[in-house]
Amino acid sequence: MENLPLPALAPLILAVAAWGLMRRPGRRPGALPLVAEIAGLASLTLGLAGLGQLVLRGPLELAPFGIALMRLDAISGALSVLVGFTGWIVLRFARRAMDGEAREGRFHALTLAAIASVMVVIQAANLPLVLAGFVALALVLRQLLLFYPERPEAQRAAAKFIRVWAAGDVALAMAIGLLGLGTGTVEIAGLNRVAELEGAAVPGLWLLALAAVLKTASFPLHGWLTEVMEAPTPVSALLHAGIIAAGGFMLISLAGLVQQSPGVMAALVILGGFTALFGALVMLTQSAVKTALAWSTVAQMGFMLLQCGLGLWALALLHILAHALYKAHAFLASGGAVQTVAAQRKPGPVAVPGLRAVAQSFGLALGLYLVVATGFAVLAGEKSPQALALGAMLIFGVSYLIAQGMADAAPGALTRRTLAASFAAALAYFGFQVLAEMLWGPVLPPAPQVGALEGALIVLAVLSFGLVAFAQALFPLWAHHPSTAGLRVHLANGLYLNALLDRLIGGFRSPMKS
Amino acid sequence: MFLKHDLTAEPDAQSLLRAAEAAVRALPPAFPLDATVAVNPFLGQVQESLAQASARLARVAGVRVTQARADLVAQVQAGRIGDEDLAAALAASALPGKPESLGDLRARMHASSPEPRALPTLAHLVERVTGCDWPALIARSLGLWAAGHFDRGQALWTPRPGRGAYAAWVEWATHDLTPEIAGLRGFCAQVAEAPDTAERAILRASARLGIGAEAAETCFHRLLVDLGGWAMHGRWQLWQAELAGETLPVMTELLAIRLIWEEALLAHCPEVAGDWRAVVAEHGAGLDPSSDQVLDVILQGAAERAHQRRLASVLSGPLPSVGRPALQAAFCIDVRSEVLRRALETRDPGIETLGFAGFFGLPLAHRPGGTDALQAHLPALLSPALVSTSHGPDEASDRIAARASRAWGRFRQAAVSSFAFVEAAGPAYGVKLLRDGLGLGGAPLPAGPHPRFETALSAAQKARTAAAVLRAMSLTEGHARVVLLVGHGAGMTNNPQESAYHCGACCGQTGEVSARLLAGLLNDPETRAGLPALGLALPEDTLFVAGLHDTVTDRVQLYRDRPAPDHEADLQRAEAWLAKAGGIARAERARRLPGPGPDRRARDWAEQRPEWGLAGCSAFIAAPRSVTRGRDLQGRAFLHSYDWRKDKDFATLELILTAPVVVASWISLQYHGSSVAPQLFGGGNKLIHNVVGGIGVIEGNGGTLRPGLPVQALHDGAAPQHEALRLSVFVEAPRDAMTQVIRRHPGLGHLVGKGWLHLFALEEGRVVARHLGERADPENSWEMT
Repeated sequence: MENLPLPALAPLILAVAAWGLMRRPGRRPGALPLVAEIAGLASLTLGLAGLGQLVLRGPLELAPFGIALMRLDAISGALSVLVGFTGWIVLRFARRAMDGEAREGRFHALTLAAIASVMVVIQAANLPLVLAGFVALALVLRQLLLFYPERPEAQRAAAKFIRVWAAGDVALAMAIGLLGLGTGTVEIAGLNRVAELEGAAVPGLWLLALAAVLKTASFPLHGWLTEVMEAPTPVSALLHAGIIAAGGFMLISLAGLVQQSPGVMAALVILGGFTALFGALVMLTQSAVKTALAWSTVAQMGFMLLQCGLGLWALALLHILAHALYKAHAFLASGGAVQTVAAQRKPGPVAVPGLRAVAQSFGLALGLYLVVATGFAVLAGEKSPQALALGAMLIFGVSYLIAQGMADAAPGALTRRTLAASFAAALAYFGFQVLAEMLWGPVLPPAPQVGALEGALIVLAVLSFGLVAFAQALFPLWAHHPSTAGLRVHLANGLYLNALLDRLIGGFRSPMKS
Repeated sequence: MFLKHDLTAEPDAQSLLRAAEAAVRALPPAFPLDATVAVNPFLGQVQESLAQASARLARVAGVRVTQARADLVAQVQAGRIGDEDLAAALAASALPGKPESLGDLRARMHASSPEPRALPTLAHLVERVTGCDWPALIARSLGLWAAGHFDRGQALWTPRPGRGAYAAWVEWATHDLTPEIAGLRGFCAQVAEAPDTAERAILRASARLGIGAEAAETCFHRLLVDLGGWAMHGRWQLWQAELAGETLPVMTELLAIRLIWEEALLAHCPEVAGDWRAVVAEHGAGLDPSSDQVLDVILQGAAERAHQRRLASVLSGPLPSVGRPALQAAFCIDVRSEVLRRALETRDPGIETLGFAGFFGLPLAHRPGGTDALQAHLPALLSPALVSTSHGPDEASDRIAARASRAWGRFRQAAVSSFAFVEAAGPAYGVKLLRDGLGLGGAPLPAGPHPRFETALSAAQKARTAAAVLRAMSLTEGHARVVLLVGHGAGMTNNPQESAYHCGACCGQTGEVSARLLAGLLNDPETRAGLPALGLALPEDTLFVAGLHDTVTDRVQLYRDRPAPDHEADLQRAEAWLAKAGGIARAERARRLPGPGPDRRARDWAEQRPEWGLAGCSAFIAAPRSVTRGRDLQGRAFLHSYDWRKDKDFATLELILTAPVVVASWISLQYHGSSVAPQLFGGGNKLIHNVVGGIGVIEGNGGTLRPGLPVQALHDGAAPQHEALRLSVFVEAPRDAMTQVIRRHPGLGHLVGKGWLHLFALEEGRVVARHLGERADPENSWEMT
């Protein structure tokens, strides 16, 4: 048992706690919500202990009878800590928030079961176990989405979720079969070692990617994610922080295999990039805080898929971690939105940057990029073209921050502050990226050589992100022009993809009346 | 000149538009959550009795306005409601169809009361035929539009500002494909051809839907109820406009929008025309309460009488007063003050407390730090007359800091830049998660900067304002060395409804600014110099000190805005008393609120029940404190200090009856409405609240705005924490004087005369008479008890 990765015990502890709470599913089940929180804290502790094991002993595998079950490496170790941490915070939040609910104990049991399932998915050493984790997660999440089963909207959201998620599971099951047939293994380590992708493994890989994009709420089947606010706030936090990234995490774990197929990589770039821009534009139009956050998640997961497609695996993992922390906090703290909006109104109208100011800010941002990137190149070595392109996309975002301080009406003190904030932001993300490369770069494949296809996609991505960023910076100049009113309506409706899905699955029908 | 034939000028059209106006007025305003105050949800029905309102709201909203029959009967069976209460309530009822005798009442009350069902809209009728959930679809589609239209800064990309609801919606709906995808073919084109004004749209739809003048009012009311909180938010916009002497067409526009939907659905599914005609006919029928509604109203009255009986037994005459008090402390009339006042008075027999509305009589519009915008700090019924500010020497740099943090916020929200934000700042949120998860954020309710008047006040104005306030508080003689003016606020974290827990008399803000400004004014030597000429003599050594009562923790913070070395010992003693009293109050209030202590609740971002707010409020007593001193009123009574002997020409009585009593009845009716009709007047479930537009909450994904009190503010999960009772108001004043005031003020007359509150006269601290309410006649308004 000395090879036992300690985080592998976390699902067991969580499952035992879940079982205990299931026995008292009702209101105020004594000290059991505290027990749930302690189980969460215990799994965080095990995750941290796993990091210790990793440092002291290197990667470990739990393989009874020669079957690789659970693994501990730099990737799963980091994710175990993340899920343990957000899981604990969510359980702690739920302990207070759910107090007095009629099905309080059941809620905690389901939350524990969901965290346990995610823990299995991220630590599983073979794909059938990943699938088992996903299936368990689907069943548990569906129950959580139906926590208020009398709400027809909840029924509709759950119906959409289970269909998309189950389609992902079917795709994954078929992928496992085909990959096993084509490569002779379904173990993650084995699959990453496959030298040549051929035969049944090719469609297998495509199906694997399909499963991943379905589970990360990628366009066009993203709709379920934007409706799950029907469940209590802690569920949203857990879902957006951890669960939604599990598909992407599966891709990163199999980076060595996925990168074998330039076609799959290109598809990830195109779909991920489009989803990122689409989700971000829809988010702009959403006036309900949780709904806007959900669209933001769609966008961020798209961006993560884009990073995967570019072969920037370590950065994709960083994105998963950073986004999970941000989004968990944003959901749990969403009750403060009334005060946030009031605070934003307080200083009066926003100074609107003109065309010249925006152009200047793009110039400044690119200058900033040059300085910071050169600095980091000297310190941390050359960057791949993909990494440089991604840096450019991100710097376009920073230019928006600069532009806000460059408006003619903005006082000098404000300009200095936004410039300082922009510089800090640029330093922070390049710093985190260097850190990510240091931590996970060694266990992940380097970005692929840039051929014609890759080059074209990189140019396309940089151009489209740059264009949207430019339009965004000029936003106040056109957003209220009558000619864009129709565009706003279509975007606010998420281009009707949810309505079409509703139409398809009968989501507009009257709920079953008892 | 062309003579234009104006459709809207025809007599039929006039009566339809009048009905629309009446339907608009039938809805209560819902204040936005950044500064919300309680509003009587039955504001549009106060000219009717509870029984009539119960018939009306059953028809248009399918809600009841009394406690559930089963709950009332359970109280009879438990003996809480006695035979004498039932008999008295029965005798007081003048409704046709009431039980003939007590025996009859007791026999009939055991039958269950049928759940009220609202008359269906066309959307409901079409749903029954086609199986498509049109009511939900309309709620979702209109909700998405309304969220953007009424947004005050949540989304970065809002619709073009400065346009009316109707024009904005027409533009939206001509582009929105959702209804067509759901099966309503040609809807966009129909909207594109909609009449150019809301009035014409209402008239055209009424004609096509066969809605005549007699059916129109409840028919329109029904449709506005369907828009839920959005319509109530529109009603608030109208309310604000009217306070400023203007008007706004938003409500008729919302009605027009909903009518265009009905029109389109009838065209979509003409086979419901017959059913629809029957519904219109029902709308045209009279609004007579059913015998079950009459019975429920009588039982409700009996429950209130039982409560009044218990209260009357507590009020058994005044206590003698002592000489110059050791400390005087004026608190807000808020029911939460009652507990702390009682506790404070047990510390020393020389402590005297007073009750007064927490804006302390200053009609303020206040400019807080960091903004040029004004906040109202006075009851919602009044208009501000004084301007104050908290701007300090650092205002300019604070403003820059606020704008920089706003720019950072937009960086977080905007397209493309949000990706950079996550990669740069996401990891820092791990620290924030830990901080907020462990409740290590800053203390809620930090003391603000020193406020000051912006309105230049002359010495004479200062003295006049001060004298008016002191008279209104009945604080004209016997001043202690230290007089505390204690406002209140509620410190909590991450709660969208936070302002609902603050001071209602300060328009959903805390009472800090009002208390500090009044203390400063009363300590001002110019003020003091002018008071004797106005017949008010304050002792030289009397110091006014402002404070803030945190109603979550029951801690009182004193603002020592003026150095007062001579009073240091008095102030330290006062602080020690307040600290002790806070402990007693915490212990008493904790019995109702199991779980962690109030200090943790205030900081916990997961807390759904930081305190009970005004839940339980049921009585209002205007009398000298000696009448209620030492009586345990369980934190359920508004206490207003009033001594009619000092009230020349009863001007203060008039003020009390028309302002604080009305506000208290609104609060009590808000709790009433949210308790008995949660689907219409309740705020829903906090666990699935989704803050929208910075103005309110929706539940889950979308749909209608949910104003009112959420379930968690009324219910601890196992048992309700508010007993829905109309307010019982006890005033120690001559009955004739009260009758005169009621006659002069129709609004108050309706509240009393239609039974929306119960009014009692006290004499020497004992209940002597009850206002007859609906049975009052010009000769006789009171019955002796």
